[in-house]
Amino acid sequence: MLEIKNLHVKIAEDDKPILKGIDLTVPKGEVHAIMGPNGSGKSTLAYVLAGRDDYEVTDGDVLWNGESILDMEPEERAASGVFLAFQYPMEIPGVAGLTFLRTAVNSLRKRRGIEELTTPAFMKLVKEKGSDLNIDIEMLKRPVNVGFSGGEKKRSEILQMAMLEPTLCVLDETDSGLDIDALKVVSDGVNALRGPEKSMLVITHYQRLLNHIVPDKVHVLAHGKIQRSGDKALALELEKSGYAEYGEKAA
Amino acid sequence: MSVAIMKTKAEQAFSDAYSQVAEQLPGSDDVRVLRKKAIGEFDALGLPHRRIEEWKYTDLRNQLKEALPVGISDETTLTIADVIVALGPFAHVDAHRAVIVNGRFRGELSSLQDVSGVEVRSVADALGTTSEALKSRSAPRDDAVLALNTAYVTDGVMLDIANGTTLQKPLMLVHLRAGKAAQFNAIRHVISVGDEADASIIEAFVTLPGAARDGQVNAASDVTVGDGATLHHVKLCSDTGAVTHLANWMVNLGASCTYRGFLQTQGVSLARHQVLATFNGEDAKLDLSGAFLGADQDHIDMTVVVNHDVPGCESRELFKGVLQDRARGVVQGKVVVQPIAQKTDGKQMAQVLMLSPDTEFDSKPELEIYADDVACGHGSTVAEIDADLLFYCRSRGIPDAMARVLLTESFIAEAIEQVEIEPIQDALMASAREWLETATRRT
Repeated sequence: MLEIKNLHVKIAEDDKPILKGIDLTVPKGEVHAIMGPNGSGKSTLAYVLAGRDDYEVTDGDVLWNGESILDMEPEERAASGVFLAFQYPMEIPGVAGLTFLRTAVNSLRKRRGIEELTTPAFMKLVKEKGSDLNIDIEMLKRPVNVGFSGGEKKRSEILQMAMLEPTLCVLDETDSGLDIDALKVVSDGVNALRGPEKSMLVITHYQRLLNHIVPDKVHVLAHGKIQRSGDKALALELEKSGYAEYGEKAA
Repeated sequence: MSVAIMKTKAEQAFSDAYSQVAEQLPGSDDVRVLRKKAIGEFDALGLPHRRIEEWKYTDLRNQLKEALPVGISDETTLTIADVIVALGPFAHVDAHRAVIVNGRFRGELSSLQDVSGVEVRSVADALGTTSEALKSRSAPRDDAVLALNTAYVTDGVMLDIANGTTLQKPLMLVHLRAGKAAQFNAIRHVISVGDEADASIIEAFVTLPGAARDGQVNAASDVTVGDGATLHHVKLCSDTGAVTHLANWMVNLGASCTYRGFLQTQGVSLARHQVLATFNGEDAKLDLSGAFLGADQDHIDMTVVVNHDVPGCESRELFKGVLQDRARGVVQGKVVVQPIAQKTDGKQMAQVLMLSPDTEFDSKPELEIYADDVACGHGSTVAEIDADLLFYCRSRGIPDAMARVLLTESFIAEAIEQVEIEPIQDALMASAREWLETATRRT
């Protein structure tokens, strides 16, 4: 279970507060969506969960399965099951996708006290998981995300998620830059990872992703606070009314 | 006005050694005359220092505190197994090997039997009858390092690749430092690639475990590439301990040839690689790139001069370096385009990853262009490890230290990818990885 308690966060380098007291609980087996206008702090929340050090937590706590994760390094959080699918996945020239994945998988297995995968076992697994996402081995022989289209990058994120077996999945604007077909592939990939042991936090600006990944709860984040919570009907309502009542100026 | 400068201890020792070892150095009377002239030149020049523009960032006179005894002969007992151990990842490159131990060619450790289309001679033998090996078509002028080489050269390999020959396997010149005696070794290779020939030549400078900590190596390669020929010329300098490595490549390029040179330096305390490449025929292509990895107080200098003496040639240079602790890197790239050399296309780039705030990188590109229809460019960058990429790796569970190695590897790989021969590229990458893993563990 993920418990976010009265979380206050500012950017480490200045005093501008971004999150001003977030309270949120995502029980095991549930998918919660966080929606909100641009600049409301959605991505900040995602980064703080994953442990990026550009932010400073000034108050509150984040508990994952009853344990605070705020003092953990990003790799320790990953080992405890946290995974962030990036809005803008990074390109790593010179590092083949397969090398990257294998290094990550085996680092996590080592830290989790599970035997590392042999090369054949790893290859079998990556082929299997990749085929569900239309990712073939040739694509993974190329450097991580280099020259990939927006859709390919997002699929490669979901493949990483599938390979690393997280229990808390945070998806940051996974729908951005995707066309309808790619959205379907990515959503199917995410849905396949839903399970009674997993908690998911899906961050999005638009309702359309939630047609594919149907959430148990929807929360509206604006001005650094959860303004409203409800079921999936809330997403549809927002789609109609927009974020105007939460202070977003027309674009 | 000339100012008389006191000779340093090392300069004095290098000069004085000559009279003691001259009789034991190989060569005919002609050769002896050349050697004598060379030591005279060295006497007059002294070791290069920071007031000489080309040596501004590598003050050899100051940094080379002493001269080690000149190595003359070598009786170190070695087996091929020792050579393989010393070669590390390069042992996996399937190649004809010529093995040189402490400056002397060792036939019994070499594997040159089945090389066809190539005449191989030891330089020591050749010097017995002719001084040709010491007469380069394009030697750098007033170069004290080359003068020392000529004066004290003990051996090396003369490779004559016949016109139209395609070598199926690379030729690897293995240079081993072995044994307990710290010494100065001067080595000279003369490589001639015939017209339309195609060859890969590797120079590997490595250390046998248990070798003396201190060493001084002075290596020169005189390379001629014939018309329409292709030469891949790769050097791995991984001579560890407290080693000074001074080297000259003198490269002459024929018409429509392709020359791809690559210099990788790691684990060497003080290294200066000078390359002087000259286009003598039109429409030739040169790629001269390199990777350097420095830790502690290592000082690595890559100084390249490319002379475009004829029209229509292309030169490319990409040097990438990784520096940590207090290491210092120098890249000097000079491109000279003569008035006749229209349609010259020359580009150079130097990029360094600085892993600690105490490292230093000096980059000096020089373009001397006397023709008006040319495309020349240069660039230089320094950077730290990208914090966003580091976070990305760590968020996937890759520990911080491992992520840094991975990202550093990815940086240096872009230079090593210039080497188009896959097994050689793999061996260079594996060597770099070994260095990175050791260097990172230490910090």
